[in-house]
Amino acid sequence: MLNQLIGIIFSETFVFSIFRITTPILFAALAAVIAERAGVTNIGLEGIMMISALTGVIFSAKLQSAWLGLLFAILLGVLTALMIGFFALKLKTDIILAGIAVNMLGNGGTIFVMFLVSGDRGYSANLASKVMPAINIPILQNIPILGKILSGHNILTYFAFICVLLVWILLYKTPMGLQIRAVGESPNAADSVGVSVNRIKYIALGLSGALAGMGGAFMSMGYMSSFNTNMTAGRGFIALAAEAMGRAEPVGTMLTSLLFGFADALANNMQSLGLPQELVAMTPYVFTVVGLAIYAASTLKKNRKKLE
Amino acid sequence: MKKYLSVLLAALMVLTIMAGCGGGNGGNTSTPSNNPSTPADNGGSAPSGSEPLKVANVVNGNLGDKSFFDSCEAGLKKLQDDGVITYKTFELGATDADQPKWVSTLDELSADGSYDLIVCGTYQMDAILNDCAAKYPDQKYFIYDAEVAQPNVASITFKQNDLGYLVGTAAALMTTSSMEKINPEKVIGFVGGEDGPVINDFLTGFIQGAQAADPEVKIDTQYVGNFYDTGKGKEIANVMVNNKCDVIWGVAGGAGNGAAEAAAEKDIWFIGVDSDQEATFSANQPQMAAVTIFSGLKNCGDGIIYMMGKLKDGSIEWGKTTQLGIAEGGVGLTSGGNFAKLPDNIKKALDDVAPKVTSGEIKVDTAFDESFDIKGLRDSVRP
Repeated sequence: MLNQLIGIIFSETFVFSIFRITTPILFAALAAVIAERAGVTNIGLEGIMMISALTGVIFSAKLQSAWLGLLFAILLGVLTALMIGFFALKLKTDIILAGIAVNMLGNGGTIFVMFLVSGDRGYSANLASKVMPAINIPILQNIPILGKILSGHNILTYFAFICVLLVWILLYKTPMGLQIRAVGESPNAADSVGVSVNRIKYIALGLSGALAGMGGAFMSMGYMSSFNTNMTAGRGFIALAAEAMGRAEPVGTMLTSLLFGFADALANNMQSLGLPQELVAMTPYVFTVVGLAIYAASTLKKNRKKLE
Repeated sequence: MKKYLSVLLAALMVLTIMAGCGGGNGGNTSTPSNNPSTPADNGGSAPSGSEPLKVANVVNGNLGDKSFFDSCEAGLKKLQDDGVITYKTFELGATDADQPKWVSTLDELSADGSYDLIVCGTYQMDAILNDCAAKYPDQKYFIYDAEVAQPNVASITFKQNDLGYLVGTAAALMTTSSMEKINPEKVIGFVGGEDGPVINDFLTGFIQGAQAADPEVKIDTQYVGNFYDTGKGKEIANVMVNNKCDVIWGVAGGAGNGAAEAAAEKDIWFIGVDSDQEATFSANQPQMAAVTIFSGLKNCGDGIIYMMGKLKDGSIEWGKTTQLGIAEGGVGLTSGGNFAKLPDNIKKALDDVAPKVTSGEIKVDTAFDESFDIKGLRDSVRP
């Protein structure tokens, strides 16, 4: 069985599937990174993804353009994230509660809106929605093994990994990033030097909503070709774990997201080898617990060193 | 301005919560126009008579599943159109957060006492109904796809193992045939929702039917772990294609749509479940409709109509379970659309097998039998 498993892990389709599975998690995890660095915990990622997944399907069907669908999905993601900001920053509700409210909105509200728009309730059977194209990368696709692994993904999969770079540049190479980090680390200090703390937090939440929105759009317009109720199925929460394990660093978060993608892909294959489903379903969560334990141990060590 | 915006947002939130509560079927309560002229009222059994029965349909999910709940709703609608009942549907939502509502709604409707009959279904409701039925012994209930042993409840279950046997027979003959999209390897796949008795009952019949048709056929069984993660459904089906499956049966609710997507992309055959999925896909997803060869049906609505007939003529047995199989129209295969593409020998085999399963000449095991070793069966046929 171990030999079989190793054979599967080193197969091209397996590695290819890791990138596909990782994509929605990575988008949402990057969304969590930006929000977290600005000191606003965006727990509503799951809800934003659901709302954007539906928005993308509706607008791509009505406007007959996948790109316009994506644009509106991002827009709604931003608006929903800003709504969390409005509740938390302006009306001073607990941001966790605001996030939970958005998650509930994403759950029940999407069914409600889908029914209003198309008469569907379970899945968007009546909406002729579009999907984002898959891309074959010229030269690369002809390289034997690499081509099959790296070429032919959905355009949003490539963009998710490009976003890792973009978020890194934003956080570490731009004045805005400096302000975001300053606000996140010490809002009072940032305020004292004239940074508008709430403005930065709104911007961070907006960016976070845009990224989660793309993750949602990928679910219904790339991964699948339709919207299904509850289709994000907890990926927004897995993303929060990936962000925590990745210490809110873009690159670290990418690696932990890939780890989740790997664990998920592995779980899918382990079942067909006859391992019990309950055991296999635990795999991604075992990775989380182990990862968090390693993280906790390393911070503890670091802190101890600091004290010495 | 700010005030209005916050009021607007609050209103939006309230709307969402209400969307989950349902009650959107106000039209269903209207009394039917045609005057009911029901024959033979033997007066013996409690809630029967020439007046239409007042029925409450409790849905522990949402309508629009294109499957179970919709089928039940359609059955009740037909009964109402025929003047047999008037009904009202209560949609309660499917998630964990909605579960307290299932309990409270069932309790309120029972306490209300104005309904002659309360209909609910799925194994998720059996414990809830069991408590409720004991608390309100004068209220009558139907539960479908689950069993409740209370003297005021009539349970309706479906022989999904018989259905599985038919589907397994067809799938095994397909993978050994020379149809298009079929590879030389004799491997078929089963994407289940959860590793539980109802899904495993489908599986038991599926494996036994397939093995009876051709003992060399291997069955790759995997579970999504829920009924809504379409992405996982797709990944699992992809893995099955790598394992050389060329026919996949998706028995996983919405997650089954993911398996259908994978089947369309990899150009293999998909078999639907619970409703005519080819018809559903054909609206806007022609590639998925094209690979859906047929669907295995669990006709919940017909089951309820069947039981209502028994209630009307007084032959219903409260406290008992009625099992509906192929002969009663409880389960069966769709015969339209792509079904015509099946080679004649497969159609003939299905026609031969169905009466034998009904008559008991072919005995199909059931996963509800505690002593039955489903794990052993599942592992013995893995590719």
